[in-house]
This record gives sequence, structure tokens and C-alpha cells, in this order.
Amino acid sequence: MTKAKILDIAHISFLDMIKSIITLSGPASAKGILIRNALATAEKTEKVEYSTLEEYIAAIEDSSNPITRIEGTSTHCGDMVFGLEKCPFECSINNYKEVFKDMPEGYASFTAEFNKSSPITNKYRVGEGAGVSPFCSVHQPLRSAIADKIKIGGKRISISQLGCKSAAGVKGIAQKWLDESGIHLDKVYEILENNMCCYHVKIEND
Amino acid sequence: MEKMKRILVVDDEEDMLWMLQRKLNKNMTDVEILAAHSGEEALEILAATKIDLVITDINMPGINGLDLLIEIKTHYHHTGVMIMTAYPSSVYKDKAMTNGGLRFIEKPFDIHELREQVQEVLSRNERFRGVVDGIELLDIVQFNGLSKSTSVLRVKTDETEGMIFFKDGAVIHAMCDQETGENAFYKIIAFQGGTIENMRGVESPMVSIRKNIAALLIEGANRTDKSNFESTSDKQNADPKPTTHRHDRNFEKNPVSIQSITKKTIPSEEEEMNKIEEILSEFTNIEGVHTACLVGRDGFILNHIARQNVDPEMVGAIASSGFGSAYSMGGQLGQGDLTMTMIEYENGPVMFAPVGAEAFLVIVADKETNLGWVRLSIKKNAKTIAQNVSV
Repeated sequence: MTKAKILDIAHISFLDMIKSIITLSGPASAKGILIRNALATAEKTEKVEYSTLEEYIAAIEDSSNPITRIEGTSTHCGDMVFGLEKCPFECSINNYKEVFKDMPEGYASFTAEFNKSSPITNKYRVGEGAGVSPFCSVHQPLRSAIADKIKIGGKRISISQLGCKSAAGVKGIAQKWLDESGIHLDKVYEILENNMCCYHVKIEND
Repeated sequence: MEKMKRILVVDDEEDMLWMLQRKLNKNMTDVEILAAHSGEEALEILAATKIDLVITDINMPGINGLDLLIEIKTHYHHTGVMIMTAYPSSVYKDKAMTNGGLRFIEKPFDIHELREQVQEVLSRNERFRGVVDGIELLDIVQFNGLSKSTSVLRVKTDETEGMIFFKDGAVIHAMCDQETGENAFYKIIAFQGGTIENMRGVESPMVSIRKNIAALLIEGANRTDKSNFESTSDKQNADPKPTTHRHDRNFEKNPVSIQSITKKTIPSEEEEMNKIEEILSEFTNIEGVHTACLVGRDGFILNHIARQNVDPEMVGAIASSGFGSAYSMGGQLGQGDLTMTMIEYENGPVMFAPVGAEAFLVIVADKETNLGWVRLSIKKNAKTIAQNVSV
């Protein structure tokens, strides 16, 4: 007799909780709640300073960077564009799907809401088409907000979300952030072939 | 035989009445002095007797001098009015401000001086006719200021109406169409014609004007003059004389004109924010309202005016859930979109109202706040905010 797989109730209840918030308060309010949650988490992160870009990239790739610690290892693909191979919510999604097959209702409306232009998504340079699920509204602002606590060679950095790929393989692209960072769309599509998430790091001059 | 002229003196001070009755018509054999102790009594006399001139005090219990003036303006077109005031004002002495419509005499006055003025007015015969009709709204605003009254002056034309609120004689608020504050005030006093109603004892819902009355009247007069000048210029420009054709073509190409139109139709983000701040201050100027926030539907603050111990970011975050829940409830119960909602707490109410599809207003007030004014302001401003908010 085969023993049934034990599933993580934390994953399952988290996904359903998002659905409940969407149902009770609407997608816009739910979006706000998840983003605020992410920003509160980022706030707890320590400030880090790297003396060179190489040192920063090495820390990204060896998981000692605060961004890597919350999302996993990513790869530098040139031009300061990074590809993240595995979505940090992959386990949650897979776990849920193993039990219920389909994702909770309301996720599509939530994702559409996240992709709309808003002061908060503009501030953290996320969404704008790069959102493919409600998890993006946690993950993308969290990474950008952590970047606010990182310096390279004494200079601030900022992160823009360029694209993201859903579990079903659908690619979401943020043309607005592509234009702003000067990265070509083809490059992002190519990175998303082998990665789930793609972002750009900019070293600010001020 | 010369026709007898009648002067009605109105004052609640017995000594003043006695003195005027006894001394005002000295050496004026054709002038009869009648006396009324109140505005009410004056109206009775006016209804029963043809009066040529009313000399009235401003401050009286019951119907006061301004009420009387408005009654006379409405029903007794041939009756002149002189105002006695105990409050000296440099503004009303300015002929340009009074426009010659009203005569003011400052208490305490010299009886000889008053007599001279009365003789001059009565001797003008034909010119005297219509003196009260010639009173401009500016005069009445001034009069209300001098009377130190707390009241609202409602001015109505066929097209629109406006209200000017006075508190102890100071103009503290005005509203006209979508505008409030000084701009509304200037708009109202530029009305051409219309009816005037003065409601005393009416408290203003808010303070939107802090300029003194003299400054307001001067600015108002300047604006009216400028507007009249521009209107005349426009008419002259529109005159279809053949010799102006070349100029007309040049004017069409004038880049300055195009720029000014562009600026007017596409407000900058800063202009939008200023407009929104102005509207939010309209709410916080309502007595009892201490916080007004414009919140994106995701709960992030777009603009706010908040009492010191209120964290607007927190207001936005929490209100977003409350608003979102109320909004969802309407959908779930088949009640349609939310238009406005209020939650009452021990210390006062919180009101939410959507403004456009992307934002909502949160108004936090103390107990006993006149929520009718809040509702009115929400209804009045929701569209403007929605137009000015670029989320």
C-alpha cells in the first residue's frame, strides 16, 4: 500500500487566505495588503554594503545576498539583468495543486489589479504587466524594497521587474520598466525561457 | 404748496430716536420725521406710508438694518436708505466701493453733518429715485460685515446661486457651483442681477476664507473691473471689421495662445495635487472634521490632511479593508456599487466615499459634526477629485 503524501497546510491555507481577502475586501484592497506585508518584511532586513559590483554578483550567486536569501539563487545574464530560476512560491503552488488541482478563484482579477499603474507599483518599479499571479505582488515589491537597503560602492541600487513566467508558462512583461532600463524585450524573453523571473539592477549615481 | 417729504428713522436706541425726531428736520419745513424702534415696526410704517428716506441703524434685535435694506430694495424702489453704523470702516468710505448706492454715517455723528447729507439727498429729487436699486452686492456684503452679524447671504440668479457666510461680520466661507473659498466669493459678487436673501443666525459649515473683508472687497472690485474690461475687449476683438482680417490670422497662429490652452486643459501633477489639497481642506474646515484622506483603493495614501496624532498611512491601510469590505458587500448582496458609507464610533464617525474607480475619500470627524455638510461636500467634490487624481 502506497503512503499518501503529507501536504503543507501552511501553503494551502496561505493561498486560500489570499482568496478570502480578495472575496471580502476586493482585489485592490487585497493587493494593498499583500504589498504592505512584503514591505514590512523588507523593513526587517539589515542594510548591506558591497564594495564592488563583482562582490554583489558573487553574493547573489552564492546565496549570501539578502535578496537571494528570500527568493533563492539567481544568475547574472549580463547588462545587470538577473534571471531567477525558481519561483519562491513554487512549493506553495505545487502543494495546492496536488490537493485541489485548480488555483483558488479570484486570482486573475487580483493579478490584473496588481498590473495596473499605481503610485506604489511605480515606486517599486513592479507590476505593469510583469505580474502573473498574486504571489508576484509579494515577491516583486519585497525584492525592490530590500534593494533599497543595499549599496554597491557607496551608491544606492534600484531594482526594476522586467518579466515573470507563470507555472503554466505564460510570460508577463513590463514594457514600462523595459523602456526605463533600456533592456531589449528579446533578452527578457530569452532569460524567461530558462527562468521564472527577470529583473534589472541599476546603480544610482546620487 | 410743497409736497411733504417723509423720513423714517429706525433705531432701537430710544435716545437716538428722540434726538433725531427732535433735531433732524430743524429748518426743513417740508420734512416730516417718523420713528420706528425696530425693523418690524419700520416695515409696518413702510407698508402704510410713503417714505422718501429711511435712516437705519445696522444692529437691532429682530429684523436688522440689512434685512430692512433688502426689503426696501425689493418692495420700495423709491425709498432711499442711509445707514448708521457704530463701526468705522475705511472701506465703506471709499466711494468706488460703495458705488454711490448707499450712504453711511458713522456714529457718533454731528447732527449738522447728518442734516446736510439728508438735505442733499432729498433735494436731488429725480436722481434720488432708484438709489436703492443701485445698491450693489458689494454694498450689502459690506453692510453685513459692519453689522457684525453671523449669517448667510444667498444670492440667486436665473443660472446659478451662491452663498456667502459671515461670522461676527467676517466673511469666512463662500460657495458657488463647484467652487468654495475666495474664488467663490469673487464669483458671487460678480453676479449680474439676481435676488438676495439674508438668513441670520446661520453658522457656516466651515472656514474657507481668512482674508479680511476690506481686502476681499477691494480684490472683488478689481476682478470685476478686469472682467468687464476683458469682456469689452473681447467684444471689440470680435467686431468683424474687414481691416482686422490679417490680425485675426496672426492671432490664430500665435503660439502663446496655444500654450495657454494646453496648460489649461492638461493640468500638471502639481496642479492636480494642489486642487486635491484645496478640496481636502474644504472638508477639514468643516467644524468637527479633523482628518481627510484621499486613498488609492489599494490603501496607499494619495493625499491627506490629518490631525497630528493620526497616522494617515495607517488610516489608508485600514480604511482600504473597511471600504473594500463595504464595497464587496454591495456586490455580494446585489446592492450595486457603493456610493457612500459611514461607521459611527464612540468618538465620532468615519465616512468613506468612492471618487472615481481608483480612489476613495476617508473623512474622520468628532461627535456632533454636521454630517450633512460632509455629505454635501463629498457629492460636490467627488467628480472633481476623480478628474484630478492620476493614480
